[in-house]
Amino acid sequence: MEHHQQPEPLSAVELAAMRRSATNGRLAMTRRSLLRAGGAMAAVTGGLGALAACGIPPAGRTDAVASQDHSRKEKRLNFSNWTEYMDVSDDGKHHPTLDRFTRRTGIAVKYTEDINDNDEFFGKVQAQLAAGQDTGRDLIVLTDWMCARMISLGWIQELDPANLPHAYANLSAQFRNPAWDPGRAHSYVWQGIPAIIAYNKKATGGRKVDSVSQLLEDPQLKGRVGFLSEMRDSIGLTLLDMGKKPEEVTADDFDAAIARLQKGVDSKQIRRFTGNDYTTDLDKGDLAACVAWAGDIVQLQNDNPDIEYVVPKSGYMTSTDNLMVPNKARHKENAERLIDYFYEPKVAAQLAAYINYVCPVDGVREELAKIDKKAADNPLILPDKEMAARSHSFRALTAKENKVFSQKFSDLTGA
Amino acid sequence: MTKTATPQSSGGDVRLQGISKTYGSFTAVHPLDLTVPAGSFFALLGASGCGKTTTLRMIAGLEEPTTGTVELAGQDVTVLPPYKRQVNTVFQNYALFPHLDIYENVAFGLRRRGIKSVKKQVEEMLDLVQLGPMARRKPQQLSGGQQQRVAVARALINHPQVLLLDEPLGALDLKLRRQMQLELKRIQTEVGITFVHVTHDQEEAMTMADTVAVMNGGRVEQLGAPADLYENPATTFVANFLGTSNLIEAEVVEAGGDELLLKAADAKLRLPAARCSASARTGEKVLAGVRPEKVALRHADDAGSITEGHNRLPGRIKDASFIGVSTQYVVDVPGLGELAVYEQNIERDGRLVPGAEIVLHWSPAHTFGLDATQDIQAGADLDEEAA
Amino acid sequence: MTTTETPAPAEEQTTAPLEVRKTPARKRLVPYWLLLPGILWLIVFFAAPLVYQASTSIQTGSLEEGFKVTWHFATYWDALGEYWPQFVRSVGYAAIATALCLLLGYPLAYLIAFKAGRWRNVVMILVIAPFFTSFLIRTLAWKTILADGGPVVAALNSLHLLDVTSALGITEGHRVLATPLAVVCGLTYNFLPFMVLPLYTSLERIDPRLHEAAGDLYARPATTFRRVTFPLSMPGVVAGTLLTFIPAAGDYINAELLGSTDQKMIGNVIQSQFLRVLDYPTAAALSFILMAAILAMVTIYIRKSGTEDLV
Repeated sequence: MEHHQQPEPLSAVELAAMRRSATNGRLAMTRRSLLRAGGAMAAVTGGLGALAACGIPPAGRTDAVASQDHSRKEKRLNFSNWTEYMDVSDDGKHHPTLDRFTRRTGIAVKYTEDINDNDEFFGKVQAQLAAGQDTGRDLIVLTDWMCARMISLGWIQELDPANLPHAYANLSAQFRNPAWDPGRAHSYVWQGIPAIIAYNKKATGGRKVDSVSQLLEDPQLKGRVGFLSEMRDSIGLTLLDMGKKPEEVTADDFDAAIARLQKGVDSKQIRRFTGNDYTTDLDKGDLAACVAWAGDIVQLQNDNPDIEYVVPKSGYMTSTDNLMVPNKARHKENAERLIDYFYEPKVAAQLAAYINYVCPVDGVREELAKIDKKAADNPLILPDKEMAARSHSFRALTAKENKVFSQKFSDLTGA
Repeated sequence: MTKTATPQSSGGDVRLQGISKTYGSFTAVHPLDLTVPAGSFFALLGASGCGKTTTLRMIAGLEEPTTGTVELAGQDVTVLPPYKRQVNTVFQNYALFPHLDIYENVAFGLRRRGIKSVKKQVEEMLDLVQLGPMARRKPQQLSGGQQQRVAVARALINHPQVLLLDEPLGALDLKLRRQMQLELKRIQTEVGITFVHVTHDQEEAMTMADTVAVMNGGRVEQLGAPADLYENPATTFVANFLGTSNLIEAEVVEAGGDELLLKAADAKLRLPAARCSASARTGEKVLAGVRPEKVALRHADDAGSITEGHNRLPGRIKDASFIGVSTQYVVDVPGLGELAVYEQNIERDGRLVPGAEIVLHWSPAHTFGLDATQDIQAGADLDEEAA
Repeated sequence: MTTTETPAPAEEQTTAPLEVRKTPARKRLVPYWLLLPGILWLIVFFAAPLVYQASTSIQTGSLEEGFKVTWHFATYWDALGEYWPQFVRSVGYAAIATALCLLLGYPLAYLIAFKAGRWRNVVMILVIAPFFTSFLIRTLAWKTILADGGPVVAALNSLHLLDVTSALGITEGHRVLATPLAVVCGLTYNFLPFMVLPLYTSLERIDPRLHEAAGDLYARPATTFRRVTFPLSMPGVVAGTLLTFIPAAGDYINAELLGSTDQKMIGNVIQSQFLRVLDYPTAAALSFILMAAILAMVTIYIRKSGTEDLV
């Protein structure tokens, strides 16, 4: 019973559909008699033994960490990334930076946008990695807390610094030493994602919204405040507002932050905990103010002059999406060469001009200014020293903590 | 239910005045006037598509006439919806309510009229159609004949002024059909309600109806008592559709008296002027008709013994089929084609076999005359087609 | 007929006198072989996941240590005790949405079946057309329709209807989004075709002469509908309500996108337990409870509606 996970990419909707049809019993009604027979059969042959037989093996139990690297023989690379997370040519058919990499190295990149959600992707590859199998991917991009989980589970390969001269030299100091991957032994940052406060000037009647306290307490905003359903961002900003450091969060701190947000929920100050769909709400003014991801705000501002953002005085959260090579990947060296390639300032600038998140590469400003002056001056894309100093990240949680915290956060959001 | 007056036990008359029905450019029923006397058994006979069902549906109120009026028992009901008309219908294929049992099917009309205690009436009606024990069955559990009787019971229990029957026996096999014909006739006589019966089966129409209207192409071709229609068809359609007719093209040689003298091929035929529905001046063409059973055969050798004054035509037997009660001959008459002859098997002449030279003869009184401008084949094959 | 026929041919009798009527075993097995793909399909995609899920629900452990079957049935009680409000809410929302679907879908199906004439196919396509886009996109579209500053809310506000609905607790202040009303609207909209299609099928099958017969037997149009049309469309009503209620009760997307924290349904809880909290046993137990509850409700419903032979 180890192959229980869906082997191929499935959208959230498809997953939902499958889950629905598995749980709704509709089949049971129309195929009643057949099922009765099938059920009886299962009970006789499988019975309770079958129930007992299908435990889930411990996740970390993988012996074969190092994989046979076929990079030299196979000039290929399978790269899984999130949607809209790569530059695209005007005709929409090419990724210029990837094309250039292929031209330079002869390594063909199979680029797949099959990551929509950290948890969902984890569910997708979990069984294979737990069983020590190849996922068919050489390079994946996941958010830091998920990286932390996977590295601690032993599912991620250690990178060879020899293949990463640019990356080693150019990684911004801000990202150099996360607690969950000291010295960046397993991962390099793809993009940084600041969580800040954004508001719709029109919806607030011109008011500035500049703190989590104001989000939670300003009666003018009642019922029009959004927080992110991403626990670390919402709780992190709340902790900072309370004068606590998310890097050192304790269970008590966490509970206090939850309690604070719960008050906002109970008083109907908070309208919703949102995923990516908050952008339309903010754009239309259904949300007057909310916790937002900087990259989205850069884009929203292009179309809607009423959208403003504030980096709270107490600080803001930066999470990162990180490049990693999973166990058993066949083309580790090729993957490392690609990582290093994206740490060349020129390449990084080209990418930064296209996707509006924080570029983790030092020395990009000049190159980016050549392409897009405005972007080069935007602290949400290239944070200045002062801005970088106010960035915080959430402490790496143990599995047990993660479960307890997630449960509490889940209860807060109503599910 | 204020508009639906209390049902009366006797039937009402149906008076159609100038009613017609057109669908776009297609005319299903040409303007027609028709009166069905109260208490009569009236049949609308015709092939499929002749407009008989449309006429029936206009009486029932299921179809709105394009022109004209419908009167029931002296009341103009043209604009009344079906549920306000004192008329009930036995539908083709019965249209029994599949979700209700037989009892509830039969009680349906009573309940809709707000009658509380239906038990006695329903039971009586089920007994009348001999379905008492089936009361709690669903329609699909009954045979075709039983369903048919339920349909009749369901309609009759309301004591309508007029009962409309749309091909009620069409789905039954021959034997059951004959049985139900008698049954329906018996019920009609018993309850005295006006029956308007639509059928394509000429035998059924003639067996059951007091009056038959033969319809063709949206018009009534002829109306009358069955025997009258049979003996004196007014058109080739009626002549061919009701039973079989031998139609002979002939020229009027002599007119003016009680009898017309006709010339067909080389033979002279006589026809009572009163039985000729066409104008018949000398030199004009007419169709002389005679029913096969009215014609007798005589071997050519015995031609001399034929009754004086009979019409006679020489010919040769082409085919003979023995069917018990009679023998049916097909006779080839030079210059006139094939004629049919049905001869009762009383004294069989052994010489009358295919190939034999014979002479056909019949009494001039049995001859009828029709307008020669009509299609001589009209209605000839429709009967079997429709059946 | 064959039973009264002459005995089997003589040669067969002489060769196998005792087995005249026996069909060869291989032949008798043919129907079962034909069933095999279906049975295999059911085993692989229905029975096996079900057993797996049942097993998961009685395991304990964590991702790191692995999960082991410890027959820990308490998970069920804990899950039920913790999440019964979401269960009740799911059933409530699904029931209301199903009722609304029936109210909206019946006239629509009736219209298509009896009145649409040559427009029938066009209307049918219009009913199905939303399926050409994804469930998610369709639901997101409702955020635009019901936006706080949108025309729908403005109209409802000017009619003071939102004051009434707020007083009833199904909306919140002067907004519709992030309220129970929005979630129920989304559910109703998304599952309406599942109601219309079976209704249409069963209405379309009704012999129009039955309507005529009812009219002929003194039933006014309204009575005809009540006594003939509606009873005969019961298979469609039952199928439609089941096809609407069952997926609506398990849905989480509408609550996620159109609701607030107080509108989360059991589907959201299962999703959250499975993906975020990584508490697989609780997620599995919740799924089982949902399944059992729906199965029980559906069984009672079918018994009560007396359409077992019609479905």
